[in-house]
Amino acid sequence: MAMSPALYARRRRRNRVSIGLALAATAFGLLWLVLILAVLLWKGFGGLSLAVFTQMTPPPGSAGGLLNAIAGSLVMTVLAVAIGTPLGILAGTYMAEYGRYDRLTSVVRFINDILLSAPSIVIGLFIYEVMVARMGHFSGWAGAVALAVIVIPVVVRTTEDMLALVPDTLREAAASIGLPRSLMIRKVAYRTARAGMVTGVLLAVARISGETAPLLFTTLNNQFWSLNLNQPVASLPIVIFQFALSPYNDWQRLAWTGALIITFAVLALSIVARLLASQRKSS
Amino acid sequence: MSMASFAVPSVGNAVVNRNELAEKIAVRNLDFFYGDYRALKAIDVSLYQGKVTAVIGPSGCGKSTLLRILNRMYDLYPNQTATGEVMFDGENILSPALDLNLLRARVGMVFQKPTPFPMTIYENIAFGIRLYEKLPKSELDGRVEHALARAALWNEVKDKLGVSGLSLSGGQQQRLCIARTVAVRPEVILFDEPCSALDPISTAKIEELIDELKDDYTIAIVTHNMQQAARVSDFTAFMYLGELIEFGDTSHIFTSPDDRRTQDYITGRFG
Amino acid sequence: MMNDPHTAKAFDTDLQELSRMVAEMGGLAEKQIADSVQALVKRDTDLAQRITLTDAAIDKLQREIEEHAVLTIARRQPMAVDLRDIVGALRLAGDLERIGDLAKNIAKRVIALNDEFPPPKLLRGVEHMADLVLGQLKIVLDAYAQRDDAKAMAVWRGDEQIDAMTTSVFRELLTYMMEDPRNITFCIHLMFCAKNIERMGDHATNIAETVHYIIEGRPIADKRPKGDTTAFAARRAAGER
Repeated sequence: MAMSPALYARRRRRNRVSIGLALAATAFGLLWLVLILAVLLWKGFGGLSLAVFTQMTPPPGSAGGLLNAIAGSLVMTVLAVAIGTPLGILAGTYMAEYGRYDRLTSVVRFINDILLSAPSIVIGLFIYEVMVARMGHFSGWAGAVALAVIVIPVVVRTTEDMLALVPDTLREAAASIGLPRSLMIRKVAYRTARAGMVTGVLLAVARISGETAPLLFTTLNNQFWSLNLNQPVASLPIVIFQFALSPYNDWQRLAWTGALIITFAVLALSIVARLLASQRKSS
Repeated sequence: MSMASFAVPSVGNAVVNRNELAEKIAVRNLDFFYGDYRALKAIDVSLYQGKVTAVIGPSGCGKSTLLRILNRMYDLYPNQTATGEVMFDGENILSPALDLNLLRARVGMVFQKPTPFPMTIYENIAFGIRLYEKLPKSELDGRVEHALARAALWNEVKDKLGVSGLSLSGGQQQRLCIARTVAVRPEVILFDEPCSALDPISTAKIEELIDELKDDYTIAIVTHNMQQAARVSDFTAFMYLGELIEFGDTSHIFTSPDDRRTQDYITGRFG
Repeated sequence: MMNDPHTAKAFDTDLQELSRMVAEMGGLAEKQIADSVQALVKRDTDLAQRITLTDAAIDKLQREIEEHAVLTIARRQPMAVDLRDIVGALRLAGDLERIGDLAKNIAKRVIALNDEFPPPKLLRGVEHMADLVLGQLKIVLDAYAQRDDAKAMAVWRGDEQIDAMTTSVFRELLTYMMEDPRNITFCIHLMFCAKNIERMGDHATNIAETVHYIIEGRPIADKRPKGDTTAFAARRAAGER
C-alpha cells in the first residue's frame, strides 16, 4: 500500500483535535451539572432530618418540615399520571397502529409536538381559565389536571415511538395466524414495547414533579395538612418557590432541602427508566 | 447408448402430470399496485394440493409481493391494491367481503426473520390455538406438543416450555414460528425466504421440515437460493420485473428451462 | 449458440477449460484413428507401437477432465445449460477414451499380423470405413466446439452409412475365408478392426447425442436409422436362411 506519511500525520492530528474538542464540550456540560448537584448537597443535605418528612411547613421562625408539600406533590403527580397515561397511551396507540397512515395522525403528531414544548406556564393559565376561574377557587384537582396536560404529550410521543419500533414483521407474524388487530396490539405490540412505554411514563413523572408554573395558577399553596383536592393543596415546587424567595433563613434552608429531595427523586426515576430501557434492548 | 439415460433427471420428486393434480390456489390474471406502480403484471400461477411450489427471481421481481397476496398480508398497508383473481378452493380471496383473519388462519406464513412473540415457548404456540378453539388444558398441551414435534423442535424445548421464545437460537426460533403456524392447522403454508437468516445446518433442518410438511399442506416458498428451490420444490415459478416468465416442473426448470431469461438467471448470467 | 458470460467470470474460465480439454482429447482421438488405419494399411509396426503409447495420454486427459468437472460441480453448483455442459464433457471424455482404446486395439492387431499379407483390396474397404468415421468424428467435434445442433444431428443420421459399409466388409471377408482357410487368421483380425471402426462410429453418434442434449436440454426425439445388419449378413453369407 502506497501511503503518504504527511497526509496520514495530518489526519491523525485532526483526529486528535476533534477528540479534544468533543471532550472539552462534554466536560463543560458536566461541570454545571456537578456544580448544581454539589451546591444542592452542600446547602440541602444539612437540612435533611426526620422532621422534614413528618412535620408540616412551619410559619417563619419556627421549626417544621415539608410533609404536606411532599404528600401534595405525590397525590397530584399520581393523579396526573392516572389521568394522562391512559389518554396518552390510547392516543399513541391510535397513531402507531390504527391510524398510522392517516392524515389525522400527522396532524395530531404535529399538535402533540407543539404541546410537548409548550411553556408550562401557558398550560397553567389555560387550566386556570377553564377550571379555577369557573370553580371560583384554587384546587388540587386543577393542579392535577394541569400536570396531566403535561403528561399526555410525553406519553403520546413515547408510546407512538416505542410502538413504531415494534418490527412490522412481528405484526405480520401476528396477522399471519389470524390474530385480530386489537389482540395483536395488546398481546404482541404492547408486550414488545412495554419497557419503552413505561420509561416514557417515568420520564413524564420526572418532568411534572419539578413543575412550578402550572401549579402556581391552579393549586396555589397550603400551609397546612390537606389532601382535599377541592381546596388549595401544598406542593414541593411551590413551597420551594415561596420559601426560597422569603427573607427567613430557616425557610430558605427548607427550600434547599426540598430542592434536594425533588432532584434526587427525579434522578432515581431516570435511573429506573434507563434500567428498564436497557432491559428492553437485551431481551 | 440408451436414450433413457438422458431422461430429464428428477429433482426431489418424480415428474408429475399437472393435470392430475388438485389446484389448491389458482392465481389468474393478477395485477398488483403499490400506489400507481404496477408491481405484478398479469400473473397466472397455481399452487397444487400437497406440493411445494418455489418462486424464484432477482430482488424486486415481485416474488414476495405475490406471496403476500395469497394471505392478503398487503392489506395491513395503505395504497396497495390487487386486481384479478386468486381462487382458494373456489373462493376469490381478493373479495372485499372476505374475513381476513379466517383467511390467514387457513393460509399460514413463515417469514424471513424468525418472529417469535415476546412470550414463553408454550404460549407462542398455545396463543394461536386459543384464538379459534376452546380446549381443556390437557388437550391444549397435546396440541402444543404435536405442533412442536411437527416442527422438529419438541426434543430441544420440552424441558423449557416456560422459557421465552426469544431465548432460542435463530434456527430454533424459525422452527418455533413454523410450529406456531402449524398449530393453527392451516391448509396452505407460505414461506417467505425462511432460511436466508440461518446457518446451513438450520437451513437443512427447515428444508427437511418442508419436505415432511408437504404431505399435509400445500406449500409455497419464496427463496433467493436456487439450490434450495431445486432441492425442496416440485414446481418452480421464475419471476422477473413483475412478470411470471416461466412456471413448470422444478426438474424441468433447473435442467432445461424453456425461456432464455430463466436460464440466464439460474445459471448466474444476470446483469 | 453461445451464452452470455457469467457474473462470476471464473465460472466461465472453468467451463472454457473443460471444453478445451475435451477438444484436445478429441484431436488426439482423431489422430489415433488415422494413425491406426495408416499402420494397418502400411503394415507399420513402429507406428502401431507409438499408438499404444499415445493411448496413455488420452486416458490421462480423461481423468483430468473428470477431476475438473467434479471440482467445477462442487464449486459452482451449476444449473441448466452449465450443468449439461459439464455432464456433456464427462460423457464426451468417456466416448473419446473408448475410441482411443479401439484404435489401440487395431494397433495391437497390426503388431500381431506382423508377417501376414492381406490383399490390398480387403484393406481398402476398412480404410474407407475409417475415413468415413474420421469425417464423422471431425464434424461432431466441430459441432461440440461451436454448439451447433444441426451439425450434430447430421452426424447422428450419418451413422447409417458406416453400418452399411461394415456389413459389406463383413460379407467380403467371409467370402474370402470360405475360399481358403489359410486366410482365416488375418481375416478375423481384419474383421475385428472393421468392427472396432464401426464401434468408433457408434461413439461418434453418442457424442452427437450428447452435443444435442447440451444444446437443447432434451434427448433426441426420433429413432435413429439403422444400417448395421452384420448379424444377418453372416448367416446369409454362410448360405443359411
